[in-house]
Amino acid sequence: MIFPTEINLLDISSVILLVATFGLIVSRGFSNWVHAYRYQTMVLAGIVALIALITDIWELYIVSALTFGIKAIVIPKILFYVTNKLDSPIKLEVNPYVGMKLSVIISALLVAMSYFIFLYLDIKSNEIIQVFLPVSFALFFIGLFLIVSRRKALNQMVGLLTIENGLFLFAVSLTHGFSLIIEIGLMADILLGVIISSILLFRMSRTFDSIDIENLESLRDD
Amino acid sequence: MFSELFSSLESILIIALIITPITSGVLVTFLKRKRLVEVVTVFSSFLILIEGLILVNSILKYKTISVFNGIFYVDSLSGIIIITVSLVGFLSSIYSVSYMGKQYEKLIIDEKKLVRYYQGFNMFLFTMLLVPISNNMGMMWIAIEATTLVSVLLIMLYVKQSSIEASWKYLLIATVGLSLALFGTIFFYYVNTIDAPIGGDASGMNWTNLVENASGFDPNLVKLAFIFIIVGFGTKAGLAPMHTWLPDAHSEAPSPISALLSGVLLNCAFYGILRFHIITSNSVGSHFSNTLLMILGVISIGIAAASIYFQKDLKRMLAFSSVEHMGIISVAIGFGSVIGIFGALLHIINHAVVKSLLFFASGSISQKYETKLISDTSGIIRIMPITGFAFLIGGLAVIGMPPFNIFMSEFLVLSSGFESENFLPSMLVILFLVIIFAGFGKHLLKMIFGNPKQTMKKGDLGILSIIPMLVLVSIIFVMGVYVPEPLQRLIENASQILLVGDAHN
Repeated sequence: MIFPTEINLLDISSVILLVATFGLIVSRGFSNWVHAYRYQTMVLAGIVALIALITDIWELYIVSALTFGIKAIVIPKILFYVTNKLDSPIKLEVNPYVGMKLSVIISALLVAMSYFIFLYLDIKSNEIIQVFLPVSFALFFIGLFLIVSRRKALNQMVGLLTIENGLFLFAVSLTHGFSLIIEIGLMADILLGVIISSILLFRMSRTFDSIDIENLESLRDD
Repeated sequence: MFSELFSSLESILIIALIITPITSGVLVTFLKRKRLVEVVTVFSSFLILIEGLILVNSILKYKTISVFNGIFYVDSLSGIIIITVSLVGFLSSIYSVSYMGKQYEKLIIDEKKLVRYYQGFNMFLFTMLLVPISNNMGMMWIAIEATTLVSVLLIMLYVKQSSIEASWKYLLIATVGLSLALFGTIFFYYVNTIDAPIGGDASGMNWTNLVENASGFDPNLVKLAFIFIIVGFGTKAGLAPMHTWLPDAHSEAPSPISALLSGVLLNCAFYGILRFHIITSNSVGSHFSNTLLMILGVISIGIAAASIYFQKDLKRMLAFSSVEHMGIISVAIGFGSVIGIFGALLHIINHAVVKSLLFFASGSISQKYETKLISDTSGIIRIMPITGFAFLIGGLAVIGMPPFNIFMSEFLVLSSGFESENFLPSMLVILFLVIIFAGFGKHLLKMIFGNPKQTMKKGDLGILSIIPMLVLVSIIFVMGVYVPEPLQRLIENASQILLVGDAHN
């Protein structure tokens, strides 16, 4: 049973999530990205708890707690450690392939596109799906956009994590949690992925003196 | 659950198959001595091969085996993957001793790195073995994503600019691709449990369950989900145009790992596509997924043809050849006839054998010549007679010369293409194969029979690098003439699994 106030809560939380994601797009500094990612993940954990409250599935509370613990505490800790240890003198996204103002506009269009795709999909739905599925698509597209439009490898990594957050929201809102073991496996994969890419980032900054992906263009066929 | 552990031979085998590489990885971590870690890894890979063969024997007997309440499920299709993983894994572990030993002598890596290599090697085998035995498609996805992570660690073993670049691209593209595959997997789970009470149990993600219910699925959602799956797992399987990470990653990895990446890992990812292809065919008929597989396959072969013809780097050429062969497998599944599917499954095994041979040989060659450039490599047969011979056989086999094994499966594939009246794709495939034949053959002959530099010292690189190559050469010869009876039965059973979808509609 869903009460009007809860629907409002759903709407409000989805808006907060989008705002947090836009925070990711407009920030320039390395540590700002990590902060923005952390806010985004905290909102996500809250949304999962909200879905758990509405659907009354106790497993989702555990998933929410895991999300908070691993993705809002442990992963940002690792990323902060990486940003502090990187040798590069200027820890800013100086000159992204797509400028900041244009990025905001494109991201807004991506959000609109996500809602259109959802309308087109015609999924037999309840309120949770209706509210969160388009937002999950939006997170996916914005993450993808961050990966292709930014120069710094760390920013691409945050883009990847945003995609993953979108995927997670998609899974939870569509299926209301499939299986705790699988979800724990997914988290383990993400954690391992973050650790490995952090090692790669260190090597990159040591070998190239920067984490600019401009350096990564020597392997090609010509 | 634990009582079941020892209740049947099969459950013990399946558990052993995943415990062995983990144990070996842990042992390697603690032993830390060059000689010891090598022995442990070779021994455990040998054990895996034996366990795999016994398990496949059981599969032949029972057709399907499901243990631990359906957590693990193997059938003939899994059997094919298990055979290739365990065989190439074992040979690659032997070759590793020679190859990585040489790198160690050349001071390219130290003992710490060597230990890390063998840890990664064992974990890589573990994750690849987890793919074909998972029944839960979510677990299979986790295993495939884990193969990416472990293989990235192996590729970045050398701290070089090029290997850092290759691993970053690989990590980024493969992870984005696989996230699409997870979208697809969740969609399939959703259409399966759409009418079930919310928060349904995990069995809704089991392949056996999905196939059972497939005919009742919403066709539009199934089609959408399969597009996600084929783009996602197709990225990992090296299908064009999502293959861009592949030549970088496969050419920058240490050669024994390149053999595993090209020969086996691509098949594991393709196995994911096949599983969902069966579900989709059961639900909306096989025409939809067949067409998609055919289109992607033809594009892959075409792009590989162009890239091979103008290639300058030996290992990149081999990597593009993998794109080509994954394309052939994809097209063959797409043709959808009995012979085509049989040919495709046979091609999976043949390609694994030939490609790992070529990567072993190219590893030895680049260690001897100290270059990966095709133009600087010539006269292999005079400098290193046995390696040169193996490289020649592998090269002739890979471009589809009779009487070697790949000719046999390609012949089956093409004849099924004409039989199923897919004339345009078949003609295109033939055209591209001719280009590849010319391009690869040109490079191959020059490298093998050209004039070597006078200053080079003659001789092969040591017995441990040669044995795996000779084993593979003999398999190529045997499989070129006939397919051993048990293997043939295995492939036939697996083709039946893939054909069920057609019978349904």
